[in-house]
Amino acid sequence: MPQGDYIELHRKRNGYRLDHFERKRKKEARQVHKRSEIAQKALGIKGKMFAKKRYAEKALMKKTLAMHEESSSRRKVDDEVQEGAVPAYLLDRESTTRAKVLSNTIKQKRKEKAGKWEVPLPKVRPVAEDEMFKVIRSGKRRTKQWKRMVTKATFVGPGFTRKPPKYERFIRPSGLRFTKAHVTHPELKCTFNLEIIGVKKNPNGPMYTSLGVMTKGTIIEVNVSELGLVTPAGKVVWGKYAQVTNNPENDGCINAVLLV
Amino acid sequence: MVQYNFKKITVVPNGKDFIDIILSRTQRQTPTVVHKGYSISRLRQFYMRKVKYTQQNFYDKLSTIVDEFPRLDGIHPFYGDLLHVLYNKDHYKLALGQINTARNLISKIAKDYVKLLKYGDSLYRCKSLKVAALGRMCTVMKRITPSLAYLEQIRQHMARLPSIDPNTRTILICGYPNVGKSSFMNKITRADVDVQPYAFTTKSLFVGHTDYKYLRYQVIDTPGILDRPFEDRNIIEMCSITALAHLRAAVLFFLDISGSCGYTIAQQAALFHSIKSLFMNKPLVIVCNKTDLQPLDGIPEADMKLVMEMKAEALKTVMGQGGEAANDEGVLLTMSTLNEEGVSAVKNAACERLLDQRVELKMKSKKINDCLNRFHVAIPKPRDQKERPPCIPQAVLEAKAKEAAEKEKRKTEKDLENENGGAGVYSASLKKHYLLASDEWKEDIMPEILDGHNVYDFVDPDILLRLEELEREEGIREAEEEDEDFEMDGQELTPEEREALAEIRKKKSLLIQQHRIKKSTAESRPTVPRKFDKDKKFTTERMGRQLSTLGLDPSMAINRARSKSRGRKRERSVDRVDRDNGDAMDVDMDQPNKKMRLRSRSAPRSRSTSRPPSELVPGEGFKDSAQKVKAHKLAKKSVKKRNKDARRGEADRVIPTLKPKHLFSGKRSIGKTDRR
Repeated sequence: MPQGDYIELHRKRNGYRLDHFERKRKKEARQVHKRSEIAQKALGIKGKMFAKKRYAEKALMKKTLAMHEESSSRRKVDDEVQEGAVPAYLLDRESTTRAKVLSNTIKQKRKEKAGKWEVPLPKVRPVAEDEMFKVIRSGKRRTKQWKRMVTKATFVGPGFTRKPPKYERFIRPSGLRFTKAHVTHPELKCTFNLEIIGVKKNPNGPMYTSLGVMTKGTIIEVNVSELGLVTPAGKVVWGKYAQVTNNPENDGCINAVLLV
Repeated sequence: MVQYNFKKITVVPNGKDFIDIILSRTQRQTPTVVHKGYSISRLRQFYMRKVKYTQQNFYDKLSTIVDEFPRLDGIHPFYGDLLHVLYNKDHYKLALGQINTARNLISKIAKDYVKLLKYGDSLYRCKSLKVAALGRMCTVMKRITPSLAYLEQIRQHMARLPSIDPNTRTILICGYPNVGKSSFMNKITRADVDVQPYAFTTKSLFVGHTDYKYLRYQVIDTPGILDRPFEDRNIIEMCSITALAHLRAAVLFFLDISGSCGYTIAQQAALFHSIKSLFMNKPLVIVCNKTDLQPLDGIPEADMKLVMEMKAEALKTVMGQGGEAANDEGVLLTMSTLNEEGVSAVKNAACERLLDQRVELKMKSKKINDCLNRFHVAIPKPRDQKERPPCIPQAVLEAKAKEAAEKEKRKTEKDLENENGGAGVYSASLKKHYLLASDEWKEDIMPEILDGHNVYDFVDPDILLRLEELEREEGIREAEEEDEDFEMDGQELTPEEREALAEIRKKKSLLIQQHRIKKSTAESRPTVPRKFDKDKKFTTERMGRQLSTLGLDPSMAINRARSKSRGRKRERSVDRVDRDNGDAMDVDMDQPNKKMRLRSRSAPRSRSTSRPPSELVPGEGFKDSAQKVKAHKLAKKSVKKRNKDARRGEADRVIPTLKPKHLFSGKRSIGKTDRR
């Protein structure tokens, strides 16, 4: 009665077929042709996927080949050119160097005065009002059009209660409210799922900031107690700013970059 | 009784393939075309469907995985422990738990994104949301790739586990490595287990089946166990320990008394004592194997003492089951698998003890009351005090006694053979018992041919008599055959019978002729639905003829029939054709087949029947008979298609139904019916 290892047992007792290894070798050799046939004949999405896979393999193979071909002998490397070094025929001239070293603090103070902060996305596409809001008709005959529904991702805060429906002008649907953001630390290069504390500034206007609308480029404040950051004075940092880097209404999530 | 068969678990695909399968299925099974201009609800529905479909598929497939893999707590503890030993329960549970969480995560993702899709106001937005949803689901799947790979490996291994039924009669074989457990297994069952001289040849449990007293026993061969502390044991040994611990079986502890396995009896005894706790409540038989190398009586004193100690332990188990203390034969047995002596004794002893134990247990349990009423031995009630023992006639008793004595005294040929050197060496003299006039002639070689005659022909004194008998028998048989033929000739028939026979033959030949005609024109006959009396056999003339044979006057009947079918067109051309009957074969037909006649025929109506059709007639214009035959063939061929359509000629363009119903009515299963 054949037991679990019957294949190995049979091989042990009776050995392989007389042409086993020959056939195996030939079959493997044929696989190359088969693969190329599939690559040529596959159509549509299958073809594209196969081509992509094959390209990746090809790139890898090329890299390994290049690695093997690297010679161990060192090549002569030119000396580094020092900054400010000038060729011999220009030595006599006097170059004007307007090197002014300004301290960091002065630079920051200047920026603050100008109201410009250094952010990863300095410029974003402006969002028009009709893109931001959807007109909601109300009233018995559906003629009144003073209500607006926000079509982008919003943040409302924990203690939020709606105004009475009769009086609320801007509707922020609960399906579009987000509480968490995927925040990437630019230096550590890792992403954390952090809670949003509030919306600091929306580049499209103060109205949107007050509504809590988050579009691409919005500065939000996130709860970074998870990261365990500490100020030089010894206090625990628990809130930091981050800038939104994607279109949340298209992706269903908020991706942001921490502003260090 | 659940058969533990883990072969039915579906294959677990690896992470990448899993994603590919599901995504390509979504692409194939959901609608693919969508345009910017569709209404927004239609767009939303399109994308929501894709998200939901993908989620549903992931859910289904992951659920099958989680459900099909056995829960270690829900199966028999033997299998639970075995799987724990082989695969590590924690790892297994973790992997399945991961699959479960992945499933829930995917459901959550789908739910969230479907909610978001409701606010999608453009094709681009809905599409990006769908892409994001599917992407996230696939990321979740990518994270569980290692668990899937692990589960696939487990599944492959599990499918090859032996199917051991933990509840049936089982015999377990255990002992040190290399003592002869697998050879014993090969001897009593049909399992073909590998037997090699090195230790740990058997690396896992093997199952075989054997029969005893019309019942099937499963025999489990285990890998050898070494004498080590429990914690140090490796996976292979743990398999045997698990089997010992969980299966209610008869245990055969194998002892190699020759020491050729590489371990002394002392070591083996030490092992025995360390695992004797596992033998509790199990019928234990100690088997001393390899007695061909070293018989049990020849071992040194110290070893004998150890063996006796083991036997005492084993006896204790017998006592524990309430067995007879005197029956120590079933406890310590010797055997040799090489020359097969004692093998069946061991098997029988083990099976017997197991059976007894099981029956006892059953008797004590409550379930027995259900079947006790089925066992009933009917004993007739004694009506008086007279003793009525079974009556055996005296002669039978004497004969039995004589037989018994004879059996002991008689020496069989087989015994002789064994004495004189065995099967290949000794050949029995078959002429020993010949009855001849003189005993010296027994060993003589008899010639076959003597003086040109066969000796066998003259061997029998009555041979001539026998020849005569044989010839007589043959003569009788021949005569019988002739007799049979005789009756067929018809010389013994009466005149009426002869007439009847002639009639029958005539009718039969008629039928054959008709059938032949039909067959010859079969290709040219139209494929129209068969109507009653297509061949127009039922005519008034036929009726008249039949009535006159019966002796009645048919004319009135014929007139009545004719008058009822008044409106028929008279076919004048029929008579002419009738007379110039081309086919000699139609001589006996009642009425010529009118319709057949009117079919298109290119052959001339008046055709002489004295010449065969392919013979060359000088005036016809053919070069030779071959050409004529070919011309006939062409003619027939050109006519065949028309005949099949039941057309009367080249010009017949009649359409019997201008609007056949099947083309002008009915609904389409798919598509529209504005074209017919």
